[in-house]
Amino acid sequence: MAITRSRRPTVFAVLLLALVASHACSRRGSCRGEYCGTLVLSVAGSVTTLLPPVSTTSAERNIFDQIFLRLADFTASGVTIGDSGFVPQLARSWEWSDPLTLTFHLDPRARWQDGPPVTAADVQFTFESYTDTAVAAGDLTALRHIAAVTATDSFTAVFRFRNQYPEAFFDATFHMRILPAHLLRDTQRRDWSTGAFGHAPIGNGPYRLVRWVPNETVELAADSSFFLGRPHVRRLIWRFATDMNLAVTQVVSGEADAIEVLVGPANIERAQAAEHLQLYPYPGVTYTFLRFNLRANGDSLRQHPVFADPDVRRALVLATDRASMVQSATAGRAKVPPGPMPQKWTWLWVPELTPPPFDTAQANQLLTARGWRDADGDGIRDRAGRKLSFHVAVPSTSGLRKQYARLLQEQFRAVGAELLIDEMDNAALGERLAAGTFDTALESFETDPTPTSGVPLIWGSGGGSNFGHYRNAVFDRQVSIASAAPTQSAAVSAWVTALKTLDRDAPGIMLYALDNVAAVDKRFTDVQIRPDSWLALVRNWRIPPDRLNERDRVGR
Amino acid sequence: MTAWLLRRLATAFAIVFTVVTFCFIAIHLAPGTPFLPEEGRAINPAAVAHLRREYGLDQPLPVQYVRYLAALARGNLGESFSQHRPVAAAIASAIPNTVVLAGAALVIDFVLGIALGAYQAARARRRADAALTTATLFIYSLPIFWLGLVLLLVFGQWLGWFPVGGVTDPVFYDSLSWFGKLGDRLYHLALPALTLGIVGAAGTARFQRAALIEALSQDFVRTARAKGLPESAVVIRHALRDALLPVIALLGLALPFLLTGAVLVETVFAWPGLGKLATDAIAARDYPLVLAATMLASIAVVLGSLIADLLTALADPRVRLVA
Amino acid sequence: MGPRGEAWRRFFRHPAATAGLAVLVFFGTMAICAPLLAPFRPSQQLDIVGLQNRPPSWQHLLGTDLYSRDIWSRLAYGAQVSLGIGTLGMAVAVSLGGLVGAAAGYFRGWIDAVLMRLVDVGLSVPRIFIVLLAIALWDRLGTGSLILLLGLTGWFATSRLVRSEVLSLRERPFAEAARAAGARPWRIITRHIVPNAAAPLIISAALGIGHMMLLEAGLSFLGVGVAPPQPSWGNMIADGRDQIVTAPWTSLFPGLAIALTVMALNAIGDALRDALDPRAEALVPAGD
Repeated sequence: MAITRSRRPTVFAVLLLALVASHACSRRGSCRGEYCGTLVLSVAGSVTTLLPPVSTTSAERNIFDQIFLRLADFTASGVTIGDSGFVPQLARSWEWSDPLTLTFHLDPRARWQDGPPVTAADVQFTFESYTDTAVAAGDLTALRHIAAVTATDSFTAVFRFRNQYPEAFFDATFHMRILPAHLLRDTQRRDWSTGAFGHAPIGNGPYRLVRWVPNETVELAADSSFFLGRPHVRRLIWRFATDMNLAVTQVVSGEADAIEVLVGPANIERAQAAEHLQLYPYPGVTYTFLRFNLRANGDSLRQHPVFADPDVRRALVLATDRASMVQSATAGRAKVPPGPMPQKWTWLWVPELTPPPFDTAQANQLLTARGWRDADGDGIRDRAGRKLSFHVAVPSTSGLRKQYARLLQEQFRAVGAELLIDEMDNAALGERLAAGTFDTALESFETDPTPTSGVPLIWGSGGGSNFGHYRNAVFDRQVSIASAAPTQSAAVSAWVTALKTLDRDAPGIMLYALDNVAAVDKRFTDVQIRPDSWLALVRNWRIPPDRLNERDRVGR
Repeated sequence: MTAWLLRRLATAFAIVFTVVTFCFIAIHLAPGTPFLPEEGRAINPAAVAHLRREYGLDQPLPVQYVRYLAALARGNLGESFSQHRPVAAAIASAIPNTVVLAGAALVIDFVLGIALGAYQAARARRRADAALTTATLFIYSLPIFWLGLVLLLVFGQWLGWFPVGGVTDPVFYDSLSWFGKLGDRLYHLALPALTLGIVGAAGTARFQRAALIEALSQDFVRTARAKGLPESAVVIRHALRDALLPVIALLGLALPFLLTGAVLVETVFAWPGLGKLATDAIAARDYPLVLAATMLASIAVVLGSLIADLLTALADPRVRLVA
Repeated sequence: MGPRGEAWRRFFRHPAATAGLAVLVFFGTMAICAPLLAPFRPSQQLDIVGLQNRPPSWQHLLGTDLYSRDIWSRLAYGAQVSLGIGTLGMAVAVSLGGLVGAAAGYFRGWIDAVLMRLVDVGLSVPRIFIVLLAIALWDRLGTGSLILLLGLTGWFATSRLVRSEVLSLRERPFAEAARAAGARPWRIITRHIVPNAAAPLIISAALGIGHMMLLEAGLSFLGVGVAPPQPSWGNMIADGRDQIVTAPWTSLFPGLAIALTVMALNAIGDALRDALDPRAEALVPAGD
């Protein structure tokens, strides 16, 4: 009996070892050649729906970009005026029958993944769905110029616009992904948010959904009969990590092949040190700023006691050493924007537009001139009994912005202003912004390829995201002129004028516009990254057959 | 026995009901709006208002409360706004992961803890005992998430012995045999379960050591020794049985500890379980999901303590279950 | 040697407790004398470009963090916050738990039933859920409110302990005598019963401080603890989490500080248990 007892742990250990070893041995793959390959992507966060109008995160957009197509695809040129920056996708050709009517001719080869062809009825259904409030799609102001979409025959869709403007083609094609009418027509639109289609989408793109384990992975498989060319990489698998740190660890240790953006110099260093990774810098699509609330905290009818004064705002802008903060927080992988613009708008980064300087002497002068002196010697300026002390609302999920809040705290302290940091989650921040119960907020926006939608939204009078209540009729007029500019060069000079006005008014401090750095395993070639949607061209990525590894060969 | 059981179940129901009510009030009073898009995207106020109406959030609080209870009685847990699917589905996919994690941690906790405690008691006050006491004390005092981070760093990244996060291998899992699948799951479960289990084991070991030392000084043990039985038989067959009883009571308290630890461990290891689901739901103000998760956690704790009491009663004839 | 002296002797028989006391004295001194010990202000960003994430050196004994702040200074001031939160939070919890437990144990009847049901509800939800929900209620939480919150969610187990002690104590002759002499209930409770029930209170307080500190660290890790720039050992670990590979010292030292302090408190709690009542059953620590 004693002998059996002492054998038991050994047997158990051997069994355990066998279990663990077996999982290594049963990997066998048979795929060879040009069309193999598995791309494992690491994402911080998770996805909850893949139905385009209902989706709200960029992670979801990266995935449904492979499943649903647009009428015409945007190119890396970034030109949004006219149609020169677009290539045919679901539509084979198009023309303007008159200044307000745009006709698309669909490619008859395009098919839904369950068989039927993509028809103009789908296009009409898509427009009606996106503009239906029951669907509760995101910001819809971009589609307000389109009066109606009709299907004149199976492969001809006609867009009627309310007015003529240079970016009509962009609005018609960029925002909507064409949805299958035959599969969605029977579901009530208000049930789309939680309905089954969001978890089992059927689209018309180069990849189709194969497997989705909620909060763990999503797997897409290539459609070998895709009408625009068979994708080379056979499988795309997204792994969801709880945060950036874990996601980067997965890529660096080889358990994932690619990551969209490495945030922070520490992560970039780690990726650089990993020999199997290739780094791909590309212009970022976001910019981050500190917004001032020009109305009183919690009372939008009164002026803010501190920030209603433009000189105080300008002084605070001058007091921030934005260049050093960028260097410290991002190790130079970002630029200080001269206005509310991301790096993606490369055409707008012109020498005439420069960020305000860093000048603490002038900042101090301005504040003193406006009556803010330190009467009680506590290091914080005050005026008529009120201290130059205010709060900043920061989302607790953004490591970089939390870092900036602390950096700003010290910089403001140097000119006698006190910044108190309130970290909160996204829901609370959103409510504060909408209700106006904040002094300042560190916000970040992901922009469209054109300023015409984003700038009026965030900075224009009455803009839906203009939480600081900044109003300047001159600026609004200049923005309208810039939005209607018929050519790229006219647009540049008009926008420069408008942004200079904004710069003088200083409704916010423009802090940084990120340079994105993606990391992809070196065995992938032909890696093309489009800034507005980094995986848009993943169907062109390939792995040379001699570089296929074990993961790539697993068959299905 | 039956009377006791019925009484306890009734109390359990009352407790869970109170928990759900408090939670309902708390989450609805919390500032913050659900339905907001990802930070950095424009908010569409019309859409948010529409969704609020759709989900009945513009009704007064008591009306919402009654509606919620009525739906609950019908077995409908509601729709999760942040997960875009029914709450029941969201929970059903998360629960198995937490159960597996907590279960594995519980096994490690008690097996390792009892064995360690027994070993220490048998060599009480000698060098091995002193060293182990310091070690268990140290481990018991560590912040769980810190231990998890360190283990992930050392074993996941530097040594590469274990995978970095996740429940199964996203690439190979489907092509494995059932045997291989089990192995893959264990492989991914190892680090998170170890993190959660080791800290618990340290606590259990301390407890077991004290209880066993106490038992070993009792008369019946001296009798066994006097009868000439080998030391190991004395410890294991006689003393341990008596010393196990207080440890079983620990089972009832292990559950809240495990659930709290699970929240932190799941975050460190990207383990998609109930803890992480609940934290995300609170942050997103996803009311139905928060309520369901809290309700489930409290049911688990209450039932756990009930089972622990039952086990104690069954194991120890001296304990009577008084209704 | 009287009973008090006996108790101290039993306490110091445990070398771990003695070491624990030394550790507590060390950190306590660090906390109190932080302004003298710290060469820099805790939130001072020395050189955000040049002195970020520097390893330990002679100028910076424990290195610098992501914002080029001196870690040793932050550790010292952080001791104030972490130990303060732990001690004060536990004070609130012990007071409340003691009060509720004494009332329930002394008065019994329906008071006992109601209070203990409340305790059951409180114990049935994992503490971290309650705290997270409560934090969501106020999106701006000062340190004072945090202490109150931790205390208000941590008294449940203490009250149970006190209740069982009081239940047995109230039948003792001295209590009977006091009742017979016509003393009012609260006087009996405060003057006679509570001092005798002090032992489990003290032990659970010692162990509970450690739990409070760990909970605060966990909350800071989840992003909802002590607000910046005020350092606490917990939020120092959270700040250093992203640099754990490239600059491990930023989270190593605060983590060690917490571990050592909690370890000391646990050792002291064990020794106290032995000193104050050597035959007491192994008590379960308060809170979770």
